[in-house]
Amino acid sequence: MTLDELKENESARIVQILDEQLEESMLNMGFIVGEDVKLDRIAPLKDPILITSGLNYISIRKEDAKKILIEKNNAN
Amino acid sequence: MFNALTGLSQKTGNFPGVTVDKKSGYTNINNQQIEVVDLPGTYSLNPEAEDERVAADIIKNINDDELIIVVADVTNLKRNLFLCTQIIDLGKPVVLVLNMMDLLQKSNQCIDLDKISTLLQIPVVPVNARIKKGINELKEIVANYQFRKASFLSDKLTPSERYEKITSVISACLQGGEANRWINRTKKIDNILTHKIYGYLIFLSILFVIFQAIFSWSAYPMELIEEGFAMLGGLVESWMPEGVLSDLIVNGILAGLSGIVVFVPQIALLFAFVTILEDTGYMSRVSFLMDRLLRPFGLNGKSIIPLISSIACAVPAIMSTRSITNLKERLITIMVSPLISCSARIPVYTLLIALVIPTEEQVGIFNLQGIVMMGLYLIGFLAALFAALVFKWILKSKGKSNFIMEMPIYRLPRWSNVGFSVYNKVKIFLFEAGKIIIAISIVLWGLSSYGPGDTFEKIEEKYTSPAYENENKDKINNLIASEKLEASYAAYLGKTIEPLIKPIGFDWKIGISLVTSFAAREVFVGTMATLYSVGDEDNTTSIREKMLQAKNPETGDRLYNKATTFSLLIFYAFAMQCMATLAVVYRETKSYKWPIIQVVYMGALAYVSSWIVYTIFS
Repeated sequence: MTLDELKENESARIVQILDEQLEESMLNMGFIVGEDVKLDRIAPLKDPILITSGLNYISIRKEDAKKILIEKNNAN
Repeated sequence: MFNALTGLSQKTGNFPGVTVDKKSGYTNINNQQIEVVDLPGTYSLNPEAEDERVAADIIKNINDDELIIVVADVTNLKRNLFLCTQIIDLGKPVVLVLNMMDLLQKSNQCIDLDKISTLLQIPVVPVNARIKKGINELKEIVANYQFRKASFLSDKLTPSERYEKITSVISACLQGGEANRWINRTKKIDNILTHKIYGYLIFLSILFVIFQAIFSWSAYPMELIEEGFAMLGGLVESWMPEGVLSDLIVNGILAGLSGIVVFVPQIALLFAFVTILEDTGYMSRVSFLMDRLLRPFGLNGKSIIPLISSIACAVPAIMSTRSITNLKERLITIMVSPLISCSARIPVYTLLIALVIPTEEQVGIFNLQGIVMMGLYLIGFLAALFAALVFKWILKSKGKSNFIMEMPIYRLPRWSNVGFSVYNKVKIFLFEAGKIIIAISIVLWGLSSYGPGDTFEKIEEKYTSPAYENENKDKINNLIASEKLEASYAAYLGKTIEPLIKPIGFDWKIGISLVTSFAAREVFVGTMATLYSVGDEDNTTSIREKMLQAKNPETGDRLYNKATTFSLLIFYAFAMQCMATLAVVYRETKSYKWPIIQVVYMGALAYVSSWIVYTIFS
């Protein structure tokens, strides 16, 4: 599944980022393939979304979130 | 951080990209002057936005006798070390400064400074820039610095591998509980501030307070400034011998200066608010809330800051577009910002509205004049959105648009920072806008004080003839002034463009004002005052009353009827009459193309809209 399919307060592990440029932007912000990501908040107009990984807290548009493949943690 | 080192006052903010250009200052270390250059904040050496590019270029090309100080937020070491290690691997001399140590202590963590210094092979200094703790230690290290080429990663590795190594360094040096507390508190605040109802309500209330402040709180200091300049003009006139020089100083330079300084209270107030909102971290949330709304217009959530700033002045607003990564979105924001009604339009609006709308008239509990004023702001805002749509459709997109933006931790605003920001914005306005307005004021003074050939001498001669001997002297002076103005170069210009502006209801006097206010809109009021000050012996009637009495020479009706006045209002709402803005647009886009397009499209929009309004009302 992709990052935009998560619900608020759900976590998952980043598996792959399909866009090279996006992968670099995400890396610069501290979002790394293999690490956990949590969807904190969906904007009132359903887009963009706020996500965290560790101490990194950013906003991202759903369009970009669609390019981030994730795997839900079984624990959640 | 920069401010703490140099004792200078530069703005920083809790909003990425607040420092958008490099700034330099000096610090004294062991009696040695050291130049300190502050670079725009960046997340990596692979820049995405204009401000990040500035930083990356400078870092890659520094000289041998320079060294780089990387200021890392200790609460998010992992990401900050990413940039730091990239610079280490470039083989550049680096000192790592760990900032916000206070937050680390509050979350019960501690960091092994020696260990991190050994692992990264660079000096590490803990500081607290907000209370200037650790600054002397930093100076000491800079003074005794000896560069040893270090390398963090043996060879080129992928970013993920870089992160892995950073993670291992951090886990070796950082002890104590998770620093999640701060971010959790921030997220709780976000639950309210980005709430689907409260979020927008809070934003609208804040906007309302800002509007209120700009319009009512600043009225008193603005009056004081105007009176002060009038007094100064009077003083100069009484001190200096009558003549060209005194006239140039009073009616050219002082009049121009007064027209600039009078906007300082409004600009200062607006930027005090904007800085407070940026410093607390709230601006990022506003951008988050607005992104989806602005996107259909080819704008970005980050465009909201320039758009709000434009209420005061488009000059600093356009400079703040640098944090918008996507070139097309940035360009659209630059192009439409001047359509938002700025403070320079207020005196024009006030004067014209008072001509056709009686003060007493009420609609419900609202004053009609106030409603018309609000309407003009709304029209400006809607026109900006409409223009953005058109530009979105015309402009080719270069690069992808995104809204990947850090949500900083909420904190209290630093008041010194707010003060510095206000000081800086006012300085930019006074110098950027000021020098142009002063220059134009002097040119205008020349245009209206001189006429072609010997026309002016002839007028003087005419009134010194015996026929006028018994007339009141003041009356004659006024008659002379009036005839001179009508014979001046400015009048020639006004009369030349009269055929062009007649369809929208303007005569040659308004034509002169259009010419003079091309440099700055507020000049309109001053020009009108000069044009209508003639034939008024003791200057007792206000410009408003004089304009009310003005008659259309052909029909004998009131010249400033609803049709002409509304047409003028719309013209001033839309037309690009601001040299300072054009200069900044040129500087930011580095091409003459965009300012020219701006003048043409806004001019066309103004002309067509004024024509429609004039036709409807006449």
